[in-house]
Amino acid sequence: MFRPRSLASLLVILAVGAVSMARAEDANSAAASGKVPQGAKIFVAPMADGFDSYLKDAIAAKKVPVQIVDKRDLAEFEITGTSDSQKAGTAKKLIMGNWHSREEASISLSNLKSSEVVWSYSVHKEASAHGKKSTAEACAKHLKDDAIEK
Amino acid sequence: MHIRKGYLAALILCVVACPSLAYSWIVQQNNSAQDQNKTKNESHAPSVEPSKETTADLKSASTDEGQLATVNNASIPAYAKVYVAPMLGGFENYVIAGLRNKKVPLTVVVDRTKAEYEISGVSESEKAGWAKMLFIGSENSNEQASIKIADLKTGAVIFGYSVHKTNSARGRQSAGEACAKHIKQIVRD
Repeated sequence: MFRPRSLASLLVILAVGAVSMARAEDANSAAASGKVPQGAKIFVAPMADGFDSYLKDAIAAKKVPVQIVDKRDLAEFEITGTSDSQKAGTAKKLIMGNWHSREEASISLSNLKSSEVVWSYSVHKEASAHGKKSTAEACAKHLKDDAIEK
Repeated sequence: MHIRKGYLAALILCVVACPSLAYSWIVQQNNSAQDQNKTKNESHAPSVEPSKETTADLKSASTDEGQLATVNNASIPAYAKVYVAPMLGGFENYVIAGLRNKKVPLTVVVDRTKAEYEISGVSESEKAGWAKMLFIGSENSNEQASIKIADLKTGAVIFGYSVHKTNSARGRQSAGEACAKHIKQIVRD
């Protein structure tokens, strides 16, 4: 014999518990994969072989809705990373019949206030049609798709 | 109070009557008090034997890609703050990207002072030469990397992993993702 009042109070307690657990999970997932608001000021740190220049151009070319700033003090977020490029040698051209360069790059986007890395991406192209431009555009495309709030 | 007064009077009488007897009685009382303290201390203090058991016990397990080692089955709590130290050739960026790609529930920070754990390591990349292309027909590179995770509070290394990939399909990205995949194994929810 369940009384309606006790049943109702039990349901309320269960509902409150479920809501609080869901909020905790949301907070955890938000911390793990934070999004960058549109129009955020981003500083692109200098990288090896001038990959930062390619990245800035790619961010503009892919119309990523962020603002690139030249001074780190003015920025809310910072992109750091590394890139490596290897031009096709004679052996690759003759034996493999491939004269495209081998490119790889990896970038991380960090929040300068909290020092947390909010997004990161790495790309590898065994035969890059447009060299560093291709890897930079891949980074910019994924930045737009994954990291920026819509 | 009456009992204490009587005790004191008896003590004075004993000292006056027989000093050697009084001395032996006082020494006996002191010894018994010390014994009681010793037993108390022994019951509270941890024994020496268990401390020997808590010394580092490195357990290694071979995987398909590399070797994994954890100390005392150590684990990292989910969403712990981790700092990835700079590595040769910027490999730290590949590890961070791997952590995200493999959905490892850790918070990566760029400020070491805000971190609880630190990932450090080395990596090496060997590009395919003409002989490899000619005889094997592969233009993929050979990659190897080794990382360790240290608890910044205690300074203890709690995890270590090394990976070697012959003909790595995605170069350093593959090595970074392999490291991240195995880090995920020690993260507890």
